[in-house]
Amino acid sequence: MRDLERRYRHLLRAYPASYRQARGAEVVGTYLDLAAPDRHWPSILDVADVLAAGGRERLRAAGAADLIPGVRLAGFLSYVTATALAGFWAAAEVVTTAGRWDSPSFGPFATTGIVVWAGWLLAAVVHALGPARWVRGAIGLALLCTAAVVPVAAVFELPRPYLFVLLPQATLGLLALAVSRHTARRHRLLPLAVALTAALISVGVLSGESAWFYRFSYGGAFLPEAGAALLLTAVLAATVLSLRGASRGLWALLVLLTPVGLLALDPVTENIAPVVGADYADFRVITGTTAATFVLGGITLAAALAIRARSSATVDTPVMTVHERCPTCGR
Amino acid sequence: MVDTPLREPTFWILTALAGPPLHGYGIIGEVAALSEGRLSMRPGTLYGALDRLVDAGLIKVDREEVVDGRLRRYYRLSGTGNATLAAETERLRRNVEAATNRLGELTPTARPIAPRAVGGLA
Repeated sequence: MRDLERRYRHLLRAYPASYRQARGAEVVGTYLDLAAPDRHWPSILDVADVLAAGGRERLRAAGAADLIPGVRLAGFLSYVTATALAGFWAAAEVVTTAGRWDSPSFGPFATTGIVVWAGWLLAAVVHALGPARWVRGAIGLALLCTAAVVPVAAVFELPRPYLFVLLPQATLGLLALAVSRHTARRHRLLPLAVALTAALISVGVLSGESAWFYRFSYGGAFLPEAGAALLLTAVLAATVLSLRGASRGLWALLVLLTPVGLLALDPVTENIAPVVGADYADFRVITGTTAATFVLGGITLAAALAIRARSSATVDTPVMTVHERCPTCGR
Repeated sequence: MVDTPLREPTFWILTALAGPPLHGYGIIGEVAALSEGRLSMRPGTLYGALDRLVDAGLIKVDREEVVDGRLRRYYRLSGTGNATLAAETERLRRNVEAATNRLGELTPTARPIAPRAVGGLA
């Protein structure tokens, strides 16, 4: 057996064993047909292709093939929420004032957060008007700004938004990367439309308020409401889709539990602090609650996958019907 | 069940199989040729799509061969696949016809554009 064939067969472990046995020889044969004669190692693109396809096949074997469209739906709802928050906070950066306590500012803006929110608004514009292939790049750029603002603000001693605001934004942004490239035009306009609406609401609510409150209090005041709106939308979508016989809405709901929990982090930590014997929601309480939110979200999703796998295990799905035995190896 | 309208990769796979039965490598080459190189599929993506199309009853396994020690499984369009591809092709044809008619209305012969002294699109 040639080195290349052996390496492709090794990569094929990404697939479930039953699929490998039924289709492995065919899949490897096609990779070998496409490979240049002097190639000894699979290309990076082939490795990514095998791993992605193997992951999809494992979900399919577990009866959870609809998890992927569910994650895409969760990505779209996260994207809309992230851009809505960006519109809200971008307006807050402009309309809040230094006030009588003379809070530090970033030029004409309240904090360096304006760079983050501008990144997300740019992503919404690209999603609405730009080529579909640019959307993930624009979201990635906005995510980079969201992550980079913390060390940059620390190094240059500049004001930045609260971590209660940045952490859910980054989580929503990561999920938004899963947004489908094949989106209807009217859906592509939605993130930008929601962002502009949120900006108008922010102007009405926050005009003339102190930037101190934007930096330290509004995360607790407005994010739980945003989380509740996201949860309500996800429940509604799951209900409507379930009535139509599609379960991707339920998967989306499960995936969104983590960002919803992070949006409610401020009031949750305030309530947890006395339970764990802390005087207030200090760093230990906040990091512990954040970690617990991620772990609980992961466990819930894993449990749902296990339940789905168990319920679908009784259904015997033949992978291929022409031959019971592989004609190459005879097994 | 496959969602309609068909996604582009699905449309090209079905179109490739509208001729004689093809194996995976053949389908990849045929799709690339039919789409004039715009769609380049990799085996992992292709076989995922083939599995879905087999499940949906749009294609069938025709036969298997071993060539140079490599297994080749040939696929062909089923009756349902043929009907689905024909319906999708008709839908696209009507779309193209509507767009062509609308563009035809904008040509100078159909709707003369007044000449401008400077600039303009004419």
